[in-house]
Amino acid sequence: MNTQRVDVKLVLLGREYSGKTSLVERFVFDRFSCTPYQSTIGNAFVAKRMEAKGKNLTLGIWDTAGSERYEAMTRIYYRGAQAAVVCFDLTENTSFQRAKFWVNELLNCEEHCRVYLCATKADLVGDKMARKVDLHDMHDYAEEMKAQLFETSSKTGQNVHELFQKIADDCAEKLVFTDQTPRGVNITKDAKREMARCCVK
Amino acid sequence: MRSESPALGMTEGTEPGATCDNHLFLSVRTYEDLLSCDEESDNSLQDNQELHEEAGQSLHNWQLGQLSKPLNKLVLEQVDEENFEGNEDICQEEGGEENFDVKDGVTCKPLNSLEELDFSVRTDDQEALQENDVPRSPGQRNRASRSSASSRDSQDVMSEAWWSLNKHVFVLSEAGKPIYSRYGSEEALSSFMGVLLALVSFVQAGKNIMRSIHSDNHTVMFLHRGPLVLVSVSRSRQSEQQLAQELHYVYNQIISVLTITQLNKVFKAKQNYDLRRLLGGTERFLNSLLNLMQQDPCFLLTAVRCLPLPSSVRDSVSQSLQQARAKDLVFAVLLAKNQLVCMVRMKDQVLHPTDLHLLLNLVSGSTSFREGEVWTPICLPKFNPEGFFYAHISYLDEACTLCLLLLSTDKEAFFTVSDCKRRVLARLCKHDLVHAVQLAMDKDSYSVSQAGVPDLQHFIYKCKSTSQFTSPEMDAPYNSTEQRERLFGLYQQLHSRIHSASRPLKLIYHVWQFETLLAWVTAGFELYTCFSPLVTKAAAIHAITKLLRWIKKEEERLFIMNPLTF
Repeated sequence: MNTQRVDVKLVLLGREYSGKTSLVERFVFDRFSCTPYQSTIGNAFVAKRMEAKGKNLTLGIWDTAGSERYEAMTRIYYRGAQAAVVCFDLTENTSFQRAKFWVNELLNCEEHCRVYLCATKADLVGDKMARKVDLHDMHDYAEEMKAQLFETSSKTGQNVHELFQKIADDCAEKLVFTDQTPRGVNITKDAKREMARCCVK
Repeated sequence: MRSESPALGMTEGTEPGATCDNHLFLSVRTYEDLLSCDEESDNSLQDNQELHEEAGQSLHNWQLGQLSKPLNKLVLEQVDEENFEGNEDICQEEGGEENFDVKDGVTCKPLNSLEELDFSVRTDDQEALQENDVPRSPGQRNRASRSSASSRDSQDVMSEAWWSLNKHVFVLSEAGKPIYSRYGSEEALSSFMGVLLALVSFVQAGKNIMRSIHSDNHTVMFLHRGPLVLVSVSRSRQSEQQLAQELHYVYNQIISVLTITQLNKVFKAKQNYDLRRLLGGTERFLNSLLNLMQQDPCFLLTAVRCLPLPSSVRDSVSQSLQQARAKDLVFAVLLAKNQLVCMVRMKDQVLHPTDLHLLLNLVSGSTSFREGEVWTPICLPKFNPEGFFYAHISYLDEACTLCLLLLSTDKEAFFTVSDCKRRVLARLCKHDLVHAVQLAMDKDSYSVSQAGVPDLQHFIYKCKSTSQFTSPEMDAPYNSTEQRERLFGLYQQLHSRIHSASRPLKLIYHVWQFETLLAWVTAGFELYTCFSPLVTKAAAIHAITKLLRWIKKEEERLFIMNPLTF
């Protein structure tokens, strides 16, 4: 059905105002807009080609809306995702608590999904007072959940490409494996096989 | 030939722009249709009239004496106990003498103007909150950044400047929780909202419904729908119906985000629920809707404006859109700068103009659709207020002027629909249609002089059966915002006179200071024209006939004449 091939389904989760859209914008379009905050309406999808481990692959990125209103819908988007980036705002503790919620949700519902924690707005915490999420708590939690942690700033671009490159690399490894046994159902192939079986019978 | 008939457009179906059948939109005759609640739109006329008489009598005895004097008009609606949200056209004018005590301990003094409608707001804690330097919670910060976006928002509520704004709109829940205020933060206005609710419930206790309060300079309009109370306070000269229609639009905009089911559910579960949690981030759509309504006649006319386009181009674009055929795909809509380019729909499904306006507002009210493809639930309240459509929204050109909306009923169909979009785009590009539409957008739509009618300065023509309208660019002297708003105000006045519930008119000829306006409504069309002030009546009538001929000649370009279905 889908003419645009997507190798890796990646979903961004996190509380509203935690910087998901800015992260995508920095990564895909390499820009940062200083316009006033606009919450995402619904879910935005962007595809981005990148190279990882000598292979070209396409990341299909779902930028979900953080608003409570869309929560029921968000669940559709992490279903079958190979990777999830759970974002939280370093200047705001509640968003870290919310991130924990999403991580739990993912661990319970999508065991094959790799979870990456992304602490956003790192440029704002140069002044120690502004940091509202404790550095040790954050690292302890990441370790406990076996999730990789990145501190990024979409404004300066710090660590953004590193984060997505890491995801692509991790997924590329896995793709070698999946290439042999395609997980997605290929209707034409299966149909042929079925037909063949019919004939033999 | 029907175009040469002298009675052009006097009957429905012969007016310029009318197609034989196959309409894109529900035809909405007058906006009174819209105002009545969907469920009870068919309440028999008889009932209405009877009630009218009863109401007339009982209102005389009613406590209007308690109203303060300078509130020169209070319009209430008599409520039949069984039919609580009933009929809309019962008005009564009265002036009273004494002070008037509202139950919950809120007292209103005699008022000289609305500014005095008390509300000694600013309690101590609010002041404390504002002076305090503690870092604000993210919710507040969001709101702050949002408010800086909407221009005058950061103003102090209740300040001189705040009071002098043209139109305020407030939305609150039945429990008195503030939900939305057009200007100023809702928190700061919570006691004001309390007063509004007290007024509403006081009148309700007397088995009446508060509809409006009129003071010398202001009209306060109330609308109570479901668990929401909507109030507008305006200085404009719009009619009650027009103001009520605007509040209905605001209500519909809220429904389009939540559906009526969800709205009722949250309030049923918890009466004092803070709806802003669910609406978070959509205030800007309410803001943009209110701004649009101040300048775009499409809301006033409940009609859709089409981008003028050679019919060959439009037909090819329609055919391209038809490529989007997929299971559960109901509407494919192509928009360009708040105008409809074309629309393809599922057979037997028609869109209400109001729903299309909400889609227009969705697209124009946000820039967040510019990246990638967006997939979002949206409810079209006139189509079905209980369920969501899932809209695939994407721009087809780099400048983000041409926006394609694909509406499906299946929430998991993103990739199917995304594929449809690719097919549409491929077909459009193959025939170089994106470019052709862009060309049509770049040059101004058309100038009134093209019609070749002397003394004609501007006009709005609505074809009733197709709910489409057309009007030329606002050329000089209407090239400044002020002048445009002034002309739009005049059109609004004409419209309210024509559609007055008590005395509807067919024809108005009105000489104002700077122009002469002539409005004519038949079964087939509504026409509002603006002439230079020195035109004679005979010349104006003659000009109108000429104008109708011209519109007829150009109808293929100005309207969507051959709508397609999947």
